[in-house]
Amino acid sequence: MDVLFKSAAVLISIFLLLFCNAIPSVAYSSSSTMHTNNWAVLVCTSRFWFNYRHMANTLSLYRTVKRLGIPDERIILMLADDMACNARNKYPAQVFNNENHRLNLYGDNVEVDYRGYEVTVENFMRVLTGRHETAVPRSKRLLSDEGSHILLYMTGHGGDEFLKFQDSEELQSHDLADAVKQMKEKRRFKELLIMVDTCQAATLFSQLQSPGVLAIGSSMKGENSYSHHLDSDVGVSVVDRFTFYTLAYFERLNMYDNASLSSLFNSYNPNLLMSTAYYRTDLYGRQLEEVPVTNFFGSVMETIHTDSPYRAFSGKYSKIEIPLDQSDEVKQRRLKSSDVPQELTGSNITDKHVTCPVTRTWNAILGRIGMMKELDSLVNYGLILMFLIATGSSWFSS
Amino acid sequence: MEEKTRNKINETKLGFWKWAIGSVIFRLILIYFPKNFNLSSRPEVSTPVTSLRRLAEGYWLKQLSMSPYAGSMYHGSPLLLSVLGPLTAIKIEGQPNHLLCSLVSVIADFICALLIRATGRILQKAHGQNLKSLGLDTMLEDIEILPSGDIAALVYLWNPFTIFTCVGYNTSPVENLFAVLSLYGASSGIVPLAAFGWVIASHLSLYPVVLVIPVILLLGYCPDMPPRKLFLQRNLQKTGDERSTKSHIQHRPLTNKPAEATFFWWRVILFFLWASIWIAYVLILSAISVKEYGGLPEMFKRTYGFILTVKDLSPNIGVLWYFFAEVFDFFRNFFLIVFHVNILFMLLPLAIRLNHRPCFLAFVYLAISSMLKSYPSVGDSALYLGLMALFVNELADMQFSFFLFCGYVGVSLLSPVMHNLWIWRGTGNANFYFATAMAYACFQRKGEDSHPKCKFQMHANH
Repeated sequence: MDVLFKSAAVLISIFLLLFCNAIPSVAYSSSSTMHTNNWAVLVCTSRFWFNYRHMANTLSLYRTVKRLGIPDERIILMLADDMACNARNKYPAQVFNNENHRLNLYGDNVEVDYRGYEVTVENFMRVLTGRHETAVPRSKRLLSDEGSHILLYMTGHGGDEFLKFQDSEELQSHDLADAVKQMKEKRRFKELLIMVDTCQAATLFSQLQSPGVLAIGSSMKGENSYSHHLDSDVGVSVVDRFTFYTLAYFERLNMYDNASLSSLFNSYNPNLLMSTAYYRTDLYGRQLEEVPVTNFFGSVMETIHTDSPYRAFSGKYSKIEIPLDQSDEVKQRRLKSSDVPQELTGSNITDKHVTCPVTRTWNAILGRIGMMKELDSLVNYGLILMFLIATGSSWFSS
Repeated sequence: MEEKTRNKINETKLGFWKWAIGSVIFRLILIYFPKNFNLSSRPEVSTPVTSLRRLAEGYWLKQLSMSPYAGSMYHGSPLLLSVLGPLTAIKIEGQPNHLLCSLVSVIADFICALLIRATGRILQKAHGQNLKSLGLDTMLEDIEILPSGDIAALVYLWNPFTIFTCVGYNTSPVENLFAVLSLYGASSGIVPLAAFGWVIASHLSLYPVVLVIPVILLLGYCPDMPPRKLFLQRNLQKTGDERSTKSHIQHRPLTNKPAEATFFWWRVILFFLWASIWIAYVLILSAISVKEYGGLPEMFKRTYGFILTVKDLSPNIGVLWYFFAEVFDFFRNFFLIVFHVNILFMLLPLAIRLNHRPCFLAFVYLAISSMLKSYPSVGDSALYLGLMALFVNELADMQFSFFLFCGYVGVSLLSPVMHNLWIWRGTGNANFYFATAMAYACFQRKGEDSHPKCKFQMHANH
């Protein structure tokens, strides 16, 4: 009988556990935590000069995201090659995304976190999951928390269920899904927007299952994503179509606009893109019309107005100005806190414990000198006096 | 005869003023073209302890209520900071930035030259009196005695090293001024002035503290008294022939002590009294000046401690940086002591040997300290080369003078070349530059060696 009861209890508890785990944890994805900050992870995975446009894509997004308010501390920029200082770049230290050369994307305010051969699948996964070695600096870590909205933008050469890194490795779609799942488990994001601009981009996020993830790709399975135009001066194509139209959309906005994500996603015209921009909202709980684009692409911080200065330093000035309409308690508090610095200065001047008269007079002299605020003028007078004494005494002695 | 000598003296006087004013004008012209020379960044001219740029940085730090010694840029006296600091900050429109400080250097150089001239005159007068008391005043009319004071002052003013130092934006002219001031005060018997000059000179840079021995000797004896054995010979000459020389020396015992051999103890005591007054005054002023930044111990650590422990190993024309760049930490203190004792152990034997010629002793001490000090510059050699010319009458038959002159010229030309090869072009290495530094030290050494030799030969010839 006892054995039966015990086994029944164990079985029931196991069932309950399974039952609890089976309930999808959609409930606490979006509503319980507060949106605290925005992060952006911008990855360009292509190397070599003829992939100039992928670099220009990433740098264009970098510039847009910075312009709309995300600071460098919350952007992880991974560029697989250096186009600005490439030997084949006719315009050294300049990267353009349009043949009118209106915008130099590589100004003096670009902070690249992973450059060159550091852009690998392993490092990308480490950035997403946060599992770095101890020596990796903070600027290379994605330090997001459970209230973060993360924009993940990837561009390069891709294909069916993969993205090519550095012409030597591949990131597969289930790798990406795995990483995102780890991020969700570790509560590293509140909402995630994945934007992919490669050939057959939509296949890359086909394996995603984590809630709170929104994904858009520039083309569907079997379609290619095309570059927009060739710059005959630089010699290569300078921007891809999907990113070009994304930028065209954002150039009309500033930090405080509340254009919605749905207007962004609907702005993509398949005829102009020459591919179908496909987006996936099944894992994302909210309606796209209610989500402003600055939730992911910008960063608007809430400011709290205060009328009074910081309370910590009010003790110093309390002796001089106490407003008359303050309550007595506040007055007492302020007076108490101002006593502390007074005691410290007071002990220097009136020290009654020292009995030696020499040190007492020396302290008195120093105190009086300390009260004289212009020590420099005293030293100057001393020097003039010294020279006068020297000349006088030598004149007398000669 | 008298008129001829008077005219000659007047001519030399006018000649001196002409050349002196000319050198001042030359310096003023050079100040207006600093960018061509860029002398303030040469390691031979400005060292970590004399550079005015560092002083300007220290002054700026002080204005920001930070310690002037923060960042290990400025290593000088806080009093110099109060005097020269504001001058580095004042900018007059239309003039070069460093005009005021360079004017201070020019004035300091000029006053130094005048003091050297006055010292030379005192020395010559004393020499003449000594010869007269020895009964050798007939020599004065036979041999053409050059006005050593004038020549020394002009050598000091027109020495290229002095001009480099003056134009090169550093504090060496001021330090040299106070060293010469102490010598002038001692040779003219003005005790407070000698004490003042000595205290300030050793406060600004540590090494003039060795001048205390020649200053005491100058104050105790009269300047440049000949040795006692000459007074023994005087008795011989008066009794015997005038031509009696080395072959017939009979040492008769002196019946009476020569009057000139007394040592004025009271002057030396007065000197120490004044020196202690000035030391206390300077220390109190410095303590007030650095009160908020750690006080006197901090000042000692950063000024004298820096000079003695050779913390900055940037290349200069000295011989310490190369060695201390390679020495193991375990032996560093030992070798610091060795290098500094190298100067100290030469003081006593030289003082014993040359106690009758304190000015010359001062010159030798300055030469030794400028050779072996931790951060030498051409400003130090400018000082002792000027003082060397004070003894031009005695050094007329110095050996190797042409060789030494060519050596100095060669080293001063090669040293910037080697520095350029090493640092800017990268085709040389530190050994190139250190070779010129060593050659410079060797020439200085050779110069000092040949001086006492010729002097003692001259004494033996009398």
